Amino acid sequence: MNYKSGICTFCGTGCGHLLDVRGDKVCGVFPMQNHPVSKGRLCVRGWNVHELLSTADKITTPLIRKNGKLVEASYDEAVACLVDNLAKYKKDNSEEIGFLASSRSSNEDNFLLMKLARSVFNSNNISLDSDPGHRNSLDVLNRATGMPGMLGSLEEISKADFLLVVGIDITKQNPIIGSELHFAAMKGARLMTIDTRNTQIAKLSNGFLQIRPGSYKVAMAYMAKVLVDENLCDVDFLKRYTEGFEQFSKTLAALNDDEVAGKTGLDVEQLKNAARDLALSKSAMVFFSSGISGFDSDTIGYIFNLYLMAGKIGREGCGVNPVTGINNLQGSYDMGIAPDLLTGFQSLSDKSAIDRFNKEWGVKLNTHPGKSICESSGKLKALVVVDHDETIVRNVNEISKMDFVAYIGSYKNDFVNYAHVVLPVATYAETDGTFTNTERRVQLAKKKLEPAKNVLPAWQLIAKIAEKAGAKWNYASPADVMAEIVKLTPNYAGIAYDKLQAMGGMKWPNGAARLNIESAPRKVSFAEIAGGLSVPLASEEYPLLLMIGEAQHYWHQNNLMKKTSIPLREYNATLLLYPKGYVAISPQDAKDLNVRDRFTVKIVSPYGSMEAMVQVTDKVKPKTAYVAYFVDDMVTKFFLEHKDVLKRGEDATIPVRIVKV
Amino acid sequence: MSEINNLTIPEIVTIDEIKDEIVEVKTFYLSFDARKGGEAPKFTSGQFVMCTVFGAGEFAVSLPTCPENDRFHLTVRRVGKVTNALHELKPGDKIGIRGPFGNGFPFDEIKGKNVIYVAGGIGLIPLRSSIMRVMQNKDKFGRVLLFLGARTPQELMYADSIKEWKTAPGFETNITIDNPVPGWDGDVGFVHTLIKKKNIPIENTVAFVCGPPMMFNAVIKELTELGIGEENIISTLERHMKCGIGKCQHCAIGRTLVCTDGPVYTYRQIKTLGEQI
Amino acid sequence: MYLIKKSQVMDIAKELQKEYELYGPVIDKETKQTMFVKADDAAEIDLNAPIPAIPPKHVLFPNYERIMSYKYDRQNKKVDIKPDFDEKPKALFGLRSCDLTGVLCMDRFFLGQEFADEVYKNHRKNMFIVSNTCIAPFKQCFCVCTDSGPAAQEGYDLNLTDLGDQYLVEAGSDKGKKLAEKMGLAKADDSHKKAKENAVDKSISLFDSIATDNKAWISRVMNRVTTGLIDEKVWEYIGNQCIECGACSFVCPSCTCFNITDPITAPDEADRMRTWDSCSYEGYSRMAGGHNPRKPVEDRRSKRFFCKLSYSQAKKYLRPGCVGCGRCQWVCPGDIGLPNVVTYIRREIQK
Repeated sequence: MNYKSGICTFCGTGCGHLLDVRGDKVCGVFPMQNHPVSKGRLCVRGWNVHELLSTADKITTPLIRKNGKLVEASYDEAVACLVDNLAKYKKDNSEEIGFLASSRSSNEDNFLLMKLARSVFNSNNISLDSDPGHRNSLDVLNRATGMPGMLGSLEEISKADFLLVVGIDITKQNPIIGSELHFAAMKGARLMTIDTRNTQIAKLSNGFLQIRPGSYKVAMAYMAKVLVDENLCDVDFLKRYTEGFEQFSKTLAALNDDEVAGKTGLDVEQLKNAARDLALSKSAMVFFSSGISGFDSDTIGYIFNLYLMAGKIGREGCGVNPVTGINNLQGSYDMGIAPDLLTGFQSLSDKSAIDRFNKEWGVKLNTHPGKSICESSGKLKALVVVDHDETIVRNVNEISKMDFVAYIGSYKNDFVNYAHVVLPVATYAETDGTFTNTERRVQLAKKKLEPAKNVLPAWQLIAKIAEKAGAKWNYASPADVMAEIVKLTPNYAGIAYDKLQAMGGMKWPNGAARLNIESAPRKVSFAEIAGGLSVPLASEEYPLLLMIGEAQHYWHQNNLMKKTSIPLREYNATLLLYPKGYVAISPQDAKDLNVRDRFTVKIVSPYGSMEAMVQVTDKVKPKTAYVAYFVDDMVTKFFLEHKDVLKRGEDATIPVRIVKV
Repeated sequence: MSEINNLTIPEIVTIDEIKDEIVEVKTFYLSFDARKGGEAPKFTSGQFVMCTVFGAGEFAVSLPTCPENDRFHLTVRRVGKVTNALHELKPGDKIGIRGPFGNGFPFDEIKGKNVIYVAGGIGLIPLRSSIMRVMQNKDKFGRVLLFLGARTPQELMYADSIKEWKTAPGFETNITIDNPVPGWDGDVGFVHTLIKKKNIPIENTVAFVCGPPMMFNAVIKELTELGIGEENIISTLERHMKCGIGKCQHCAIGRTLVCTDGPVYTYRQIKTLGEQI
Repeated sequence: MYLIKKSQVMDIAKELQKEYELYGPVIDKETKQTMFVKADDAAEIDLNAPIPAIPPKHVLFPNYERIMSYKYDRQNKKVDIKPDFDEKPKALFGLRSCDLTGVLCMDRFFLGQEFADEVYKNHRKNMFIVSNTCIAPFKQCFCVCTDSGPAAQEGYDLNLTDLGDQYLVEAGSDKGKKLAEKMGLAKADDSHKKAKENAVDKSISLFDSIATDNKAWISRVMNRVTTGLIDEKVWEYIGNQCIECGACSFVCPSCTCFNITDPITAPDEADRMRTWDSCSYEGYSRMAGGHNPRKPVEDRRSKRFFCKLSYSQAKKYLRPGCVGCGRCQWVCPGDIGLPNVVTYIRREIQK
């Protein structure tokens, strides 16, 4: 049959699809009806993935920069060039070599890149790009429970009778998860949304609380306090399975209603009712975004603690569920794509783990934690970038100053302009590889067609680089790579390619639908909260709170979308209307500013400014503003100035002033 | 059958000459490579063609050319990727044309009547064809009144044609710009306010109205208040189009397809379409 | 009318494969999903397979199809256009009556209007259709509400009806008759015709117990949709649930909206591609320059249901646009497949 099964490559939901493959062409796509996650559904991106796979915008030959120009080369020449250049900076602790991995690469590709960085080039400077969101979620969950991943699962959404969606425009970011939540609500579950904007899921919810930007943690803390005050905590559960409750509950005592109402802009009675609904439900889940628009550790900590107090963790239909925006963001952390982590969230400082890796790889690993590229502060001299799909190169000043940049990827993008060597690799449809979705589900996407002439899959290319650099790797297939991953990664125990052949793959650990609280080696601890409950405040000088997010068609800067026609058209629908990007403001603020839709304005913060057009919409509340960042200037000229704000999370909220131009 | 079939596959035409009309608007004079003397296929006022810019794509554009005694041309504003690419071309370059498509303006049906043309901005493009034709057959029509509006004098298009209309016997040509500027001694204000000022015929009159939605609505209100029947107000609708032959459905409005049932409708029809214009 | 033994029914497919590309319902081994696809081996086709997830629409109206390619030589001002119409003979074997109805809707739409669509005409002109009577409905079926099943009435070359140990083979065209004669099929008589009628009656009677997913009493709703007398709130309720994925259009046997793009294959060379499109997308009706007459999602939703359920559109198809296959309900991430929309509208009418 010409329809070949696979896993959608876009978001972290991990929907199953069938690609219509005829010879070397992908002529269509169709949803997989019996797939456990998507059950026959796809979103606008998924329904048009064949346009991406048919694009002429692929890299088809290795390139080496000579006299400023990229010229065609053989793989052997390009690999030699890469290895020779990196060798110049190789030391026992290669602080000058960096690796920028992609949350789109398969687990196998990421694992091998990690192995290449650490074991061949002695560099721990390996990271994803600067989005800290998911790392925050994983840190909080791992510290508290020992499970660095979603505590519940998508398959149990239908078993929850209370569903809370916090700060995620889920029908746009992960549409099929949004669909599951909607279906659960239609079948009688109570669906509650807390968001700064009136999103589609808010419209589909039984209850919607439109909160002031940056104050989610206040709302969560207050709900936790309500559980304490009204004796709604699951006391038996707390005693049996948890520790640290007393300490945490003490920190809540000081919260008072007026303060909460003032900071959140909400009626506290509504928050009280939400807390009661949560406590009195039999099973409950919470979903929040884990990416660029993700939360800071404290907010995640409060969400976690609230659910722990209600006894809604580790039980059927329960869970604290961060939602990943990119298909293999979870898998990338699982594969140790972080300066301080080995696979399965094992720390670089964990001696027994290091021993295991040293033994398996026959090396002595450098254990000095590395730095991510945004932390490197100009130290990096050579950089290897793999399969990034962003059109906007962050940290562009640093990257353009580097002595050597290599780009390894399937599709053309702006990194190519800075690269000294470009190495093509096969697309996800052209090789075997596994991807771990937001619910820890490891799925095998099988090879469905041949790559363009001579183009290697990434796992083979990385092995070729290692070999050229003197290492002896021996993988006959991605299945061999997975076997090694499993050997080194306790979380992935039991996973193997022969088991992944079946539709839907397998969740780690051991197929668990949720955190197994019974067999946990230790009690679950309450998340530590580092800071207070201060919220970003507007001032007279900067009276509006600016929120940053993604919208359905401006998705991770859309380098992939731009290679399609229908998703591109949808993208352009707004980009043509708002060529400089848009900032959404309420009709009231528009009136005060004396601007109408599509008027150009300047957004000024304490650190910088940018121009955009206004979109007047009642989706945002007065005194708040929202930008979907997808225009070059927005990121490079404005948001980079706010790198620290974005890093801290705070729902990525920036107080700004908007002026008419 | 010698008739060239260009329903699906465009036929190749040569750009003979390019004229700057106003800012961002150019007129392209074309000859049809595969036809005798480069002449265009038969068409009527109000129809449109699908124009392919090779390497960029295809778009729908209404015909400003008069079906009698006129050089075949298109007038195109730069609005998107494809029209941009067209604006980059030079005389001698080739483009593709499918069509003409669509129903066209009434001509024989309105003989003997007074005719009013109201155009705002580039709304004049489709009306030019009809105005030219009526001018050449003026003896068959009653009073002919032109109301042309533009934001500024620089945005008035078809200067040569306007010059002709101003002196054409029996033509009453009125031109207005939105705001006063030095050196402009004509009318000032929106075009619908101008209509009110002039003594326009009501009985036995048809009005052709083309322009941006705001202007269109204001003019319609004015005309109907003055007593011109909805069935005697004629316009042409623009829609996103891909095929031109009633198949792709992009231009569907309620039960009608603009490409085959339109693009010319009476205001009475437009009102019953039940969607935004 | 002819007869063929059950064990020999696939001989018809094999016979067709000599002259035609053979398409039919195939159950994918891995996913257990039925797809109406090209069968390299006639034995892959399963006449008892559930209703295919993907309708046969894509054989006549492919998802992503090149209709021409061109090359513009800028230096010498020469254009080379190569039309690329697919006129290979194709046989659709084992079509369910709903899907055959979908094909007939497409025929009338693409060929029966003012202009005939050449791309479609080429796909269609050398086609052989063998339909298959549903002797029992499936869970999601409601063809009895839309007059498109369980047995095909017209449009087939041959129609098969399972009569137990043999199939009744009815010829609907000379082409069909010729093939039956060529294969030397046994003649059927009135008793077999009666048996078919009984089988169809039985199938209809099974809808109550088996086809429980969907019901769509469309007649009254058609009236309302045509006249537009439906409360805005109903469209808003429907629009709120639409995530704008386009799936309903893609799986519908009678939806034919397409987009045309010219992806560049080399400098000044491009393919003209025709791809499935959906009226649920915001960019679908947006014009160059930004004006969009159909911006709110509920407007776009009402457009689709107007297409499926209005008399005006029915004039083009010579029947309602909905063929009762239930696929839109399967794939919808909202809860607004056509049967549900009909229910929502009826609920409002009853108020």
